[in-house]
Amino acid sequence: MPESPFAHTLQVLLHVLTALLLPPLLPGLINKVKALMAGRSGPPVLQLYYDLAKLSRKQAVFSRTTTWIFLAGPVGAVSVGLVAAMLVPFGHAHAPLQFQGDVILFAYLFGLARFLTVLSALDTGSSFEGMGAAREVTFAALAEPALFLGFAALAKSTGSLSLSTMLAHTGPLFKFSGPLVLVLAGWAIVYMAENSRIPVDDPNTHLELTMIHEVMVLDHSGRPFALVLYGASLKLLVLGALLVGPILPRNLGPLRDWLVFYLGLGILAVAVGVAESVMARFRMTKVPQFLVAGVLATAFAFLLMLV
Amino acid sequence: MAALYLVLLGAALWLGSGLTALGRPSERIALPLSLVGSTFGVAGAVLCLAQGSSGTLDFYFAGFPARLAMDALSAAFLVPLYLVAGLGALYGSSYWPLDAPKGTGRSLRFFYALLVVGMTLVFLARQGLFFLLAWETMAVSAFFLIGTEHEDAKVRRAAWTYLVATHIGTVLLTALMILLARRTGGWLWIPILGATSPKLDTVILVLAILGFGFKAGWIPFHFWLPAAHAGAPSHVSAILSAVMLKAGIYGVLRISGLLPWIPTGVGGTLLLLGAATALYGVLYALAERDFKRLLAYSSIENIGVIGMGIGLGLTGRATHDSWLTSLGFGAALLHMWNHSVFKSLLFFGAGSVLHATETRDMEVLGGLASRMPRTARVLFPGLLAVAALPPFGAFVSEWVLYRGLFAALMRGYPWSAGLALPALAFVGGLAAVAFAKFFGFLFLGSPRSAVAEKAHDPNLPMLIPMGILAVLCLALGLGSAWLLPAVDQVAEILAPGASDLLTTSLGHELRLIGGLAGALLVLGGLVWSWVRRPSKISGALPEPDLPTWGCGYSAPTIRMQYSADSFSDGWATLLPGRRIRMRRLKAIFPTPSTYQSELVDSAGLGFLEPMVERLAARALRLRKLQPGYLTVYLLYVLLALLGVFSWMLLRPWLMVMLGWPA
Repeated sequence: MPESPFAHTLQVLLHVLTALLLPPLLPGLINKVKALMAGRSGPPVLQLYYDLAKLSRKQAVFSRTTTWIFLAGPVGAVSVGLVAAMLVPFGHAHAPLQFQGDVILFAYLFGLARFLTVLSALDTGSSFEGMGAAREVTFAALAEPALFLGFAALAKSTGSLSLSTMLAHTGPLFKFSGPLVLVLAGWAIVYMAENSRIPVDDPNTHLELTMIHEVMVLDHSGRPFALVLYGASLKLLVLGALLVGPILPRNLGPLRDWLVFYLGLGILAVAVGVAESVMARFRMTKVPQFLVAGVLATAFAFLLMLV
Repeated sequence: MAALYLVLLGAALWLGSGLTALGRPSERIALPLSLVGSTFGVAGAVLCLAQGSSGTLDFYFAGFPARLAMDALSAAFLVPLYLVAGLGALYGSSYWPLDAPKGTGRSLRFFYALLVVGMTLVFLARQGLFFLLAWETMAVSAFFLIGTEHEDAKVRRAAWTYLVATHIGTVLLTALMILLARRTGGWLWIPILGATSPKLDTVILVLAILGFGFKAGWIPFHFWLPAAHAGAPSHVSAILSAVMLKAGIYGVLRISGLLPWIPTGVGGTLLLLGAATALYGVLYALAERDFKRLLAYSSIENIGVIGMGIGLGLTGRATHDSWLTSLGFGAALLHMWNHSVFKSLLFFGAGSVLHATETRDMEVLGGLASRMPRTARVLFPGLLAVAALPPFGAFVSEWVLYRGLFAALMRGYPWSAGLALPALAFVGGLAAVAFAKFFGFLFLGSPRSAVAEKAHDPNLPMLIPMGILAVLCLALGLGSAWLLPAVDQVAEILAPGASDLLTTSLGHELRLIGGLAGALLVLGGLVWSWVRRPSKISGALPEPDLPTWGCGYSAPTIRMQYSADSFSDGWATLLPGRRIRMRRLKAIFPTPSTYQSELVDSAGLGFLEPMVERLAARALRLRKLQPGYLTVYLLYVLLALLGVFSWMLLRPWLMVMLGWPA
């Protein structure tokens, strides 16, 4: 479907604005759902926007142990998230940037963000943050193959290595078939692990010993902490687009595509909120088994595509 | 022609600089000679890669015609050789000065230069016998370099193990050269044209992979590598890891390029062997607590990744698929370049830490980022590069490898590629563990001992080479698209018929990746400056001097920091070679508890070395043949004579009986 240059520019502009402005809404939505499920009224949906505005005006406190590495984590998470957001298709069929092999760059960009966050946690010299960092890298090593096996299955089915094609034009063989269900199941596990949601990690827990992601950012404050929060919500959006992308109906028209996308994201946020309300966090030793289940799901999807 | 002479001139200057160490050495002569030699070497090799010029030099060696020749494949390996050698010489001038005690400075300088000359000839030789001579020069000078600190029993053991391993490889290579000479009809290496001889070609290729594998370090031929690379002085470790391992890679590529036909199956096997090597290397790397051994194991990992590329390339050749061939060999070559840059940077950095603290144990270090700020800063690009993260070069080479693996999947070689693809992703995840540990427990947190407390930055001759390599790490990531013409030239030698395939089909993507990497850096810079800029309220306040929050615990001590061993514990427990002795707290008034961990290479120290030792013990029984009495020796002489006589007597009769021609 040829697009006029004006419409294309508008699409790209909308994409960039969505990536910049929408993310803080998602955690708000999840928390609202959780609060309603628990019978509370909960914080406003826009709470994270207020938090970010407040934090960006506050003074940051730095421990005397820390060096410049301490800032590399938050800064890296946000800049990497924004660049990765340009590679994923949102509401329209194509991402602003697409080329053969952009999936690999996409996956490794998140690897970079995670690596920098881990280093900035180790920079504090705190035993708790070291523990969180150790858990993060240990579990992430399992999430990586699951992500790639899913990509391999999609690539085999669509004959393309570009996210825009892989997510938007899943082949006739693939549509709502067994492999797709398995890939999405595997990726849902990756989604929960990467975004540190229940049942892998509890973002609201109060005991540092049981945390993964939250414990790594204990020492961040002020603007660096604003970046941490914003980066986490950006990750919710970008990986969420990966998850809802293959299921969304396509080519309904430029405006309706976007509406469907926002609706899909909203449903995802509600689903995460419901999942968090109805189940408890796994014991830490169970988490690797959960992630292996994700690897197996995507591996079976891949095997089904091969035979 | 000019390129070849420039490189030979460079080698001659290096030889000269090495020879000065024999007389009354002076840094003022030796160092400039080697630096100028390196400049010539790099210039010659780059000239060859940029202009595609090749040159040959014919002469007679031991009565046989011999040849030195320069082509893109040789040049591709000569560039990192002269780059790392030159920077290493500058680094070494301060790290291990000429007047080091017990003459080690002088011997080190001599054998270092000899290693460079030997490797130059390895990459240039085009004749079997001369190649073996060059190969031995390289191998033996590396033995002396590894044994520099031979007063340490561990270093001696590492050097001897290395010597045995490299000579097993040489035996296989000698057999290879003889078979190759039969195949080509002479010692000269010329591409074999015409009829294929499937059996002989298969044997030659497998011998090449085995024989050169001992040098490259694919499992299970890697057992000598960690101890040897960790025990050598750091700038030697750098050249061993960054260049000498690649001599094995070069050998496999060169020999496979001579063969007219590649059997199917060898490529897929090498692909899986490479994946297994990468996994093995990275798992042991993350479990190590000796930071130089960690780097050595990471070299095994990277050699595995390069092996995957070669396996893919060979699969492509076997199936006449030039796209797969170019992607596979291209990935191997790019990763070879990247590895030589970031691994030498990391070894230089490790050397600086060792120089400042005199310990290789990660558990007693920490907090060096504030004690050695310049080292931490220049090391950082190498750190991200070794974890194959964008925007650095190693990401690009792994990206090309992923493209190759996906291409293989699409074209119906699913099993080997299907296994290798998740393995590569898994290796990427584990490399993050290993190198978060490496940097985190050396440079971050608070110092865990007095030696770490007093550490300081090294001087400029050690920092400048690291700075140059750090810039190169980034340049290889941002400008990878401009390397493609050179990679295409090499691929053309390895598998003729696909000129500029990579340039035309990957150039666009690599330029985009480079652009995005640049955008990422700019964006990061903008966000960084926003964080650092004081806001209206906080700008007026003084910055308080506060400790890290102890999570409510009021008296944290430095020893309560997370330890490197526990950081990697999640994956390290899977390793069979890891032994832990722990005395837990018992009783009401417990005695202090202890914890000891040890990591033994399960293939090398765990399996091969005990076997070799048993074999050696059995071989000692042969000593009984040598009792020391003259009469017994006379008896041996008599028996030998009798044997010869009876053979002479029986021979005509035997010949008739068996129908052999006289």
